[in-house]
Amino acid sequence: MNKKAKVSEHSGNAENVRDTSRVETPKRPQPTFVNAGVDALLMQFGQELDPCMPGFLASIRAAIIAELSDVVYEVVPSYASLLVYYEPRAVRTYDLEQALETIAEQTPWLCSPWSADAEAPGKLVEVPIYYYQPDDAIEENDMARVCEQSGLSFDEVVAIHSGRDYQVYALGFAPGFAYLGALDERIQLPRLANPRKNIAAGSVGIAEGQTAVYPQESPGGWNILGFSPFVWFDVNGHANGNVDKNTPAQQAALTPVQVGDRIRFKPMSKSAYEQAKAKFFAQQGDST
Amino acid sequence: MTGFRVIKGGILSLVQDTGRLRYQHLGVTRGGPLDAKSASWANRLLDNDPDAAVIEITAGGLELESRTQIMVAVTGGDLNLTLNGEPQPPWRSFWVRQGDRLKFATPRYGFRAYLAVSGGFQTTPILGSRATVQRDHLGGVDGKGSALKAGDELPCGHLQEETLSREIPMQYLPEISQDLVLHLIPGYQQHEFSKEAWQTLWHNEYTLSQNSNRMGARLEGMEIATPNKTFLSEGVSYGAVQVPANGQPIIMLEDRQTLGGYPKLGNILPLDGFRLAQCMPGAKIRFKPMSLAEGQQQMRRYLRFFGL
Repeated sequence: MNKKAKVSEHSGNAENVRDTSRVETPKRPQPTFVNAGVDALLMQFGQELDPCMPGFLASIRAAIIAELSDVVYEVVPSYASLLVYYEPRAVRTYDLEQALETIAEQTPWLCSPWSADAEAPGKLVEVPIYYYQPDDAIEENDMARVCEQSGLSFDEVVAIHSGRDYQVYALGFAPGFAYLGALDERIQLPRLANPRKNIAAGSVGIAEGQTAVYPQESPGGWNILGFSPFVWFDVNGHANGNVDKNTPAQQAALTPVQVGDRIRFKPMSKSAYEQAKAKFFAQQGDST
Repeated sequence: MTGFRVIKGGILSLVQDTGRLRYQHLGVTRGGPLDAKSASWANRLLDNDPDAAVIEITAGGLELESRTQIMVAVTGGDLNLTLNGEPQPPWRSFWVRQGDRLKFATPRYGFRAYLAVSGGFQTTPILGSRATVQRDHLGGVDGKGSALKAGDELPCGHLQEETLSREIPMQYLPEISQDLVLHLIPGYQQHEFSKEAWQTLWHNEYTLSQNSNRMGARLEGMEIATPNKTFLSEGVSYGAVQVPANGQPIIMLEDRQTLGGYPKLGNILPLDGFRLAQCMPGAKIRFKPMSLAEGQQQMRRYLRFFGL
């Protein structure tokens, strides 16, 4: 991950320059735009992993969908960018840039990602996890190696991984795959040199500054610490009992988390794990 | 229920429509026909909606038996189609009766054929689309992202009587060639690549790799120098040309992952991507720059023509 801030500070407007230097909004990022083909614009807010960014991007995304739905048909958020797909017959690219810039300027930069405030944009979701013992005979169990490479004991790895809340920075790679960060530096490890061809659904992995759960069986190169029966994507819109009526219709509660939400891992016992695992794979079998 | 019964699934035969829009923010891939223009023509020949579901047949081998009577149209690459053993030229619509057998053999030219039926195939839509995305386990004949296999049933309508057979005027037939120039609209990290990297791209010929698939067309050739830094993952749009550390470009296609962090030179013109879909591994590829305005003009014309 590139840690260097590359946020463009120029805005050409004296008032804005003064605004960005105010104490309460010290780092308000300005968007830059690059083309991403004939019908997409990439709206970038620097190259920094910033815990304030997901909520900010989620608000901008919602405003774009509300205000520009006649020309924009899809907005894909990531760590510090929004990919805006538009209808090239309905708008000129330059005009769209102006409209997007205005929306970004009008979106408040609420830099309180860890606040317990119920009004904060992101909700907190608890995700149960069973941390593999270093000697658990599980195909993709990397716990022993994680302990060895980090120089930490099993208990320390568990305490560190479950000891903080994570931001949902992006959903991608597979339906419902949530990129969570930031991981404590003490357990940051590189991806596997040789990615596995198959990682079981429910596997919890870490890679560099991130952690995530594989929602479905897939290839992957992350270091696997444990298992979670949490359902990240349900095509019928019932993911973990999610019946949130406030979610926009197009999201239809397919995923229990959105970019800007927070995740807290809650360790579970081995017996709870064995029950949950059996139930999880029985359900997987039903749906695939 | 009327429709077609799959006798042999072939190498890779997939139900496709214009794709699963508006779910990319959840990590759901769009999907859709790789040669969208040929798929549009197949629907146009039958006066179908532009987003009616068709079958994309890659490299041949699909065999179907009709359990209905209906007008069908076949476009795209020529996969030596026969109807009850009789050669059936592509790019036209024709009448199929109960018990008729459609058989796609091996490519004569091109790589992917499109089979449409009047009213489209009526498989169950998943998240608003019938498109098959195998990696996501979504859509297609079973709703779970599977390719066609022996024994599958493809539901579709039944016509009382044959309608007039139509074919596509010669001047509209696409040129299918294994020697292709792709127009690239610079974008994404274009300024992070060195002048030398761009020169390498413009002045060398690349070969379409065996390892290409619906996610991406992998090219092999002169190594393109990549920027000496890493980037945060960002949304990846159709036709993005990403260059991983080995310097071999990958053109991201309809089944691409929604996010990616490799540096990207820009995007190819989608119309060229459709032609690329007809290339076999080993095809020769060159790149040529194109402005965004020119690319958009060509795409607007295409979209308007097919009512997309």
